[in-house]
Amino acid sequence: MSNTINTDEEIKIGIYVCHCGINIAGVIDTTTLTEYAKTLPNVSLSKEYTFMCSSIGQEMIKEDINKGLINRVVVAACSPRMHEPTFRTVVREAGLNEFLFEQANIREHASWVNLNDSEGALKIAKDHVRMAVAKLNELKPLEVELVKVEPTCLIIGAGIAGMYASLDLAQEGYDVYLVEKEPTIGGHMAQLDKTFPTMDCSACILTPKMVDVEREEKIHLMTYSEVDNVDGYVGNFDVTIKKKPHYIDQEACTGCGACAIECPVICGNEFELSIGTRKAAYIPFPQAIPGKYTIDMIKCIKCGICASPDVCEPDAIRLDQKPEYIDVKVGTIIVATGWDLYDPTELKQYGYGKYPNVITGLEMERLLSSYGPLEGKPVRPSDLKPPHVLGFLQCVGSRDFRPGKNKYCSRVCCMYATKQARQYKEKHPEASVYIFYTDIRAFGKGYEEFYESAGENFNIKFIRGRIGELYENKDHSLIVRAEDTFLQKQIEIKLDMLVLSCGLEPRHDSDQLASLLTIQKSSDGFFMEAHPKLRPVDTLTSGIFIAGVAQGPKDIPDTVAQAKGAASSAATLMAKGEFEIEPYYSIVLEEKCSGCKSCQSLCPFNAISFDVFKNIAVINKALCKGCGTCVAACPSDAIVQNHFSDDQIFAMINTAIPPLAKTENGGK
Amino acid sequence: MEDLKSDRILEIKDDISDELRKAGYAEIGACIQCGNCTASCPSGRRTAMRTRSIVREALLGLDEVLSDKELWLCTTCYTCFERCPRNIPITDIIIFLRNLAVQRGHILPNHLNLCRMFYDTGHGVPINDEKWNIMRESYGVSRVPPTVHAHPKAVKEVQELISCVGFDKTIAWGKYAKKEEKAEKK
Repeated sequence: MSNTINTDEEIKIGIYVCHCGINIAGVIDTTTLTEYAKTLPNVSLSKEYTFMCSSIGQEMIKEDINKGLINRVVVAACSPRMHEPTFRTVVREAGLNEFLFEQANIREHASWVNLNDSEGALKIAKDHVRMAVAKLNELKPLEVELVKVEPTCLIIGAGIAGMYASLDLAQEGYDVYLVEKEPTIGGHMAQLDKTFPTMDCSACILTPKMVDVEREEKIHLMTYSEVDNVDGYVGNFDVTIKKKPHYIDQEACTGCGACAIECPVICGNEFELSIGTRKAAYIPFPQAIPGKYTIDMIKCIKCGICASPDVCEPDAIRLDQKPEYIDVKVGTIIVATGWDLYDPTELKQYGYGKYPNVITGLEMERLLSSYGPLEGKPVRPSDLKPPHVLGFLQCVGSRDFRPGKNKYCSRVCCMYATKQARQYKEKHPEASVYIFYTDIRAFGKGYEEFYESAGENFNIKFIRGRIGELYENKDHSLIVRAEDTFLQKQIEIKLDMLVLSCGLEPRHDSDQLASLLTIQKSSDGFFMEAHPKLRPVDTLTSGIFIAGVAQGPKDIPDTVAQAKGAASSAATLMAKGEFEIEPYYSIVLEEKCSGCKSCQSLCPFNAISFDVFKNIAVINKALCKGCGTCVAACPSDAIVQNHFSDDQIFAMINTAIPPLAKTENGGK
Repeated sequence: MEDLKSDRILEIKDDISDELRKAGYAEIGACIQCGNCTASCPSGRRTAMRTRSIVREALLGLDEVLSDKELWLCTTCYTCFERCPRNIPITDIIIFLRNLAVQRGHILPNHLNLCRMFYDTGHGVPINDEKWNIMRESYGVSRVPPTVHAHPKAVKEVQELISCVGFDKTIAWGKYAKKEEKAEKK
C-alpha cells in the first residue's frame, strides 16, 4: 500500500486510552488521563475504551483517520511488544504511514507496578502519554523495505530434529542443505535402544527416516561436514561448508567394508561410547547413512593395506584427500545441533571413571541395545556378569544450583531410567532394581502410565532420595547410602551396578556456532528462542530458527514437533519470497564518519562492515536490529537511527523531566 | 564401612513386598506416597497410625511394619481404599499385613487373649458369664445360647478345626501352649 506522505500537513494527534479490562482502569483514573491528553500540543482528540485492541477499538481509530480528524496516533495501553504491530496495521489500513504511530505503555510501566497507588500510577501514565506525544510530534514517515528470500534452507545437524525439518521442507519443494559433522546421520537417537513410553525400538522407527533423507532428491546431504562461515542476512545467507576428508572417495565407495576388515588398527567406537570397538577405516554402525566408509586419520597408521587393489576393488581409497570448501546461498537456516551428555566425573562422590560398575545412562543404553556391543545383554563391567541388584541415580548434573552446574531439569532422565529399569526387569525378572530420584517428572503423553506400570507390574522400587555416599567393596559391588525421605530414615543398599542418569548439556562448541550465526544463548547455555511461548522456534536473528535439544532439553516427541515447527516457520518465509525489513535500522552519515571502527566491534548482530575504499562504516539494513549501540558509541555523531533519532529522544526526555533551570529555582 | 553401620540405617528387603505381590497386591508398587490415605484416615486423626508410612514400609520390606502397634490401629473403614489415586487396595493390604504379622509372632496381648478365648470356648467373646445368663432368662430365652456353650462337646470340634488350619500353633495355644503360660493361667 502506498501511503501519501505530506510532512507539511498540520499535525493532528489522536490519543486512545485503553482500559485493558481492569488491568489499567482498575488502578488509573482513565477519564482524567483522557482529559489530560487533550491539553497536550497538537492533540485533536482523546478517547478511552475498554479494549483498544478489539475490533471495535481498532475501528474507532480507523474512523477518526478516515474522517480526517487525525493524522497521527497514540495508543496508551500495554507494551508495544504486545500490540505495536496491531495498531501499526490499523494506521496503515486507514491510509496513513504506519510509522506515524506511538504506543505509550501505561500497563506494565504504570498500573501493574503501582497497584496500590492510583495517584502515582496516574502521574506516571500522564508522563508516558506526554512523552509519546512529544515523540510523535517529531516522527518522520518511514518506508518498509523488502528483501528477496532464497528458497533454500541450511539445516545444521542431522539428528532426529534436523532430519524431520529437512524432510518437511524437501516435501514442500525447497532445497535443503543438511550438514552433519559425524560420518552418519541419525544423531543421538540412533544410539538409543528403545524409546519411552511406547517401547518402540529406536532404530526401527529411525532408520526408515534416515533412508528417506538419503533418497530425497531435494535434500543435499553433507555428512562429515561443518559450517565454516556464514555471511549475509535473512533471505540471503552466504554459507561456506567445510567437507572434512573421508580419505575414501564417497562416490566410488560401495560400502563393502573390505577396508575395515583388513584394517589392522582397532580403537574405541565413539558411537558405542568406546564400549565397542571399530577399525581406523569404519562406519559408526551397520545401518549408518550414508553407508560409506571413512578413515579416521588420527588413528590410521598409514600402512596402506586398504589402498591395495586386492582390498578396495573400486579403488576408492584417497589417503591424500584434502578438506573441501563448498559455498552455498540459502534463504533460511535451522539450527538442530542437539546435545552433549553431562560428564559425571566431576561429581567425585559417585566415583564415575574410578569404580568400574558406575556407568552413565547413555552407556546403559548401548548395553541394552540389541545391536549394541553386548547384543542387548547388559553385564556389569567388573566381571561381565548380569547385575542382581541394579540402581539408577537421577538428576546427575541437573537441578543443581551450585556455581557452574546445570540448574535446569533435563526432562528425559526420569523416563529413560524408568525405561531402562523396565527393560532390565523384562530380561531379569529376579533382579532387584532401585531408582533413587528427587522428583519423578512423568509429564508427557502416556508417561505417568508408564511410570505407574514400572512400580506395579515390574516391581521397580522408587526411592525418593539422592545417593549421598557411595563405597566400593573388594568385589567391585557398591554400597550406596541414601535417605528414604518418605520415611525420613537412612537406607543402605548393596548394588552390583549403578547407572547415573546424566542430564543433557548444550554442545561444547555451541558458543562458536552462536557467534558464527549471531544468535543468542539463554543462561542455561542452550540457544535462545525469540519468545519463550509465542516464538519458540525463532531466534532474534531473522531467518534463523532452532529445533530440538539445541534450544533446550526435550524428548523425541517434542523434538520432532519443534523440528516440524521450525520447518514450517522457515517455509513461511521462503513461500512468501520476500521479507519486510523494519526501517528502525541505523544509518551512517558518510560525511561525518571518521572511520574509527568503534561501532564495528560493538555491534551484537555483526551488521557493521567497513568500506576500506571510502574509509567508512557500512550498516547492513537487514542485519541491523535497531538496538542503538552504535549510535551511542559513535564519537563523531555519524550514526543516526530511524524512529529513534536524537530529536525524537530528546523531545521525550525534555518533556519527561522539567527543565534544569526551573528546578534550580525551586520550581516544580 | 563397619563403623558406619548402626541401627538407624535400614535394611531393605524384598520379602514383604514379594509376599504382597504373590497375594495379588502388586498395585502397592505404584504408590507415589501422596499421603491421601493418611489425610483421609479417621483413626490417624486420633492415633499415631500413618497409613502412608505403613504402605511405604511394607514396600521396602522393613520389619517395623509388622512389629509396630500402628498396624492394629486401622478400623478397616475403607476410606483410604476408596480414595487412593493409584487404586491400591490399602485396607486389604493392612489386613494381609496383620495376618503376616501374626504368622511371624507379632500380636497384641489383647488380640492374643481373644484368639485363645476362641480356642477355649468357641467364642471370641464368650456369653457364659452368670450375669448374661440372668439377663437372658429375664427376656424369656434359654439361659445359655444354643451355640457351643450349650453343647460343650462341640468345643472339641472347634479346637480340631482350629488345629487343622494351624491357628493353635500361630497363637501358641492348645498343645503348643508354653508351660509357663499354662502355669500362669492356673
